[in-house]
Amino acid sequence: MIRMIDPAGPRTADEDLLPPLGWAPRRTPAPGARAVRTFGALAAVVVLGRLWAAPALGPRALDAWTTVFVAICVQALPFLVFGVALSAAITVFVPPSFWRRALPARPGAAVPVAGALGAVLPGCECASVPVAGGLMARGVAPAAALTFLLAAPAVNPVVLVATAVAFPGAPEMVAARFGASLLVAVLAGWTWALLGKNEWIRVPARPDPAGGGRAEAFRQAMRHDIMHAGGFLVVGALAAATISVALPAAWVAGVAGVPWAGVLTLAFLAVLMSICSEADAFVAAGLTQFSPTARLAFLVVGPMVDLKLIALQAGFFGRRFAVRFVPLTFVLAVGVSVAAGAVLL
Amino acid sequence: MTRAAQNLLLITIGAAVLWITLAGGEYLNYVKPGFGYLLVPAGAALIVLGAAGLRRDWRDEEAADPSGHDHDHGHDHGRGPGTAWLLCLPVLAIFLIAPPALGSFTAARDAGRAAPPPAPPGHGFRPLPRTGGPVAMTMGEFIGRSYLAQTGDASTLAGVPVRLTGFVTPRARGGWEITRLKMACCAGDAIPFPVIVRGLPSPPADAWVQVVGTWRPPASGRPATGVHELQGVSVQRIGKPRTPYE
Repeated sequence: MIRMIDPAGPRTADEDLLPPLGWAPRRTPAPGARAVRTFGALAAVVVLGRLWAAPALGPRALDAWTTVFVAICVQALPFLVFGVALSAAITVFVPPSFWRRALPARPGAAVPVAGALGAVLPGCECASVPVAGGLMARGVAPAAALTFLLAAPAVNPVVLVATAVAFPGAPEMVAARFGASLLVAVLAGWTWALLGKNEWIRVPARPDPAGGGRAEAFRQAMRHDIMHAGGFLVVGALAAATISVALPAAWVAGVAGVPWAGVLTLAFLAVLMSICSEADAFVAAGLTQFSPTARLAFLVVGPMVDLKLIALQAGFFGRRFAVRFVPLTFVLAVGVSVAAGAVLL
Repeated sequence: MTRAAQNLLLITIGAAVLWITLAGGEYLNYVKPGFGYLLVPAGAALIVLGAAGLRRDWRDEEAADPSGHDHDHGHDHGRGPGTAWLLCLPVLAIFLIAPPALGSFTAARDAGRAAPPPAPPGHGFRPLPRTGGPVAMTMGEFIGRSYLAQTGDASTLAGVPVRLTGFVTPRARGGWEITRLKMACCAGDAIPFPVIVRGLPSPPADAWVQVVGTWRPPASGRPATGVHELQGVSVQRIGKPRTPYE
């Protein structure tokens, strides 16, 4: 597949695929300080768990938690596998020159086209970050590549079908998700074209993919994407199961009752849970206590801003990029979701 | 994570998916029956992917230059992220814990956010037969009919013996209800269909039962509240149905 040459010098093979090493900042603290911090966190978990979790935890609660955890993993897996297969097919079988021909030269005009391309081409968010880096490296305007990065995981056909399956009989949710996500992606691209500075982005330069058959490249791309996305899917399922079983129903109902609090809660929840965009509709469908607008915000924010994406973006384009782009996307996503929810839901 | 470990992990996940789908239908505890058609190809694809990777690696090893020359393949991006090990967790949970279908814990927890009454089919509910044995119906159908009877013509349901299938959920203030969980897609979004059973002693919680009884109209003067009651005639313990959700 693709190797990345860092301006700071060639990287070793193991780290060419971005921040997998715990997504930690590159500056490693002294081993002693790190151990103290780890055990401090452990002590906090133990104390808080004893105070809050232990009295409520019974075998039945654990059973329900495990069932929900396994259920979310099981229902997300087929979508993950098929999404990754399609995304691998696109990275392998679509030549890089296609992108240059497909996109207008002017960034302002290229942004909506990139958004439309993202709507047609399926891609997991984990896959869209490297693809966007590749587009930039091949001369596509950063604003257009970023629009593609936001649109591809949010509004592609696989995601929309998954949303329709998760919200049976509610086509307006699919329409609202599509419209709001595409709008956020285009607005973010235009904002970047207008205000963004090139020195904020570290554009990864890449040589052409090394030799080897296409089938082999396809296999490696697929395995790579499953390995990188799968772990985060499990993290999302763990968080979702915990929230589904452990969160006091009354508390959730209280937050869900206040419109703006519900929207913000689910927007932040989407960031924290980091669920793959192919699966997040099913989680959102389960959050029945919340208003449709809040759930729409969950669906719009999730594929564009979440912990694993922040880490991926910081790793690919540099931290100076991430601290500007992530808040921009988050604010746009919440604002557009509220507007779209008011109009459509 | 080495390439061999990644390939073996893919095969393990694929095998676990095929196991819960094809051997005994455990997947029905987690997702809707239709998911079988998605899970089988996905599991098979994972196994093929892992097996192809293993085969490739073996070939590369055989073909590797014995003089120790650096080999072309595999040194570029072979290693996977440590987070991928987390994929072992659901596999371990499936085989070591084998979590059962959700039951009365979830149903009781979600009291107060019971499923909205299902709408009748386009042409409306068929009129119930007045003679013969009790009419078997799903919890959803009963609640839909009960809602219509509460808000409209009570005679459509009153007095007709019906048979409901579900599990036992004890009520917080005494008594019990027969419950079935309704899921849109997977167990993560399950919401309960509860019907309070009057006049019968409570079987143990989570026991699967069939209850025969008649619809009980709400106390006079009380508006429809989304609470549905059954005057029980008989209760019979049964085994867990193959599809525990509605």
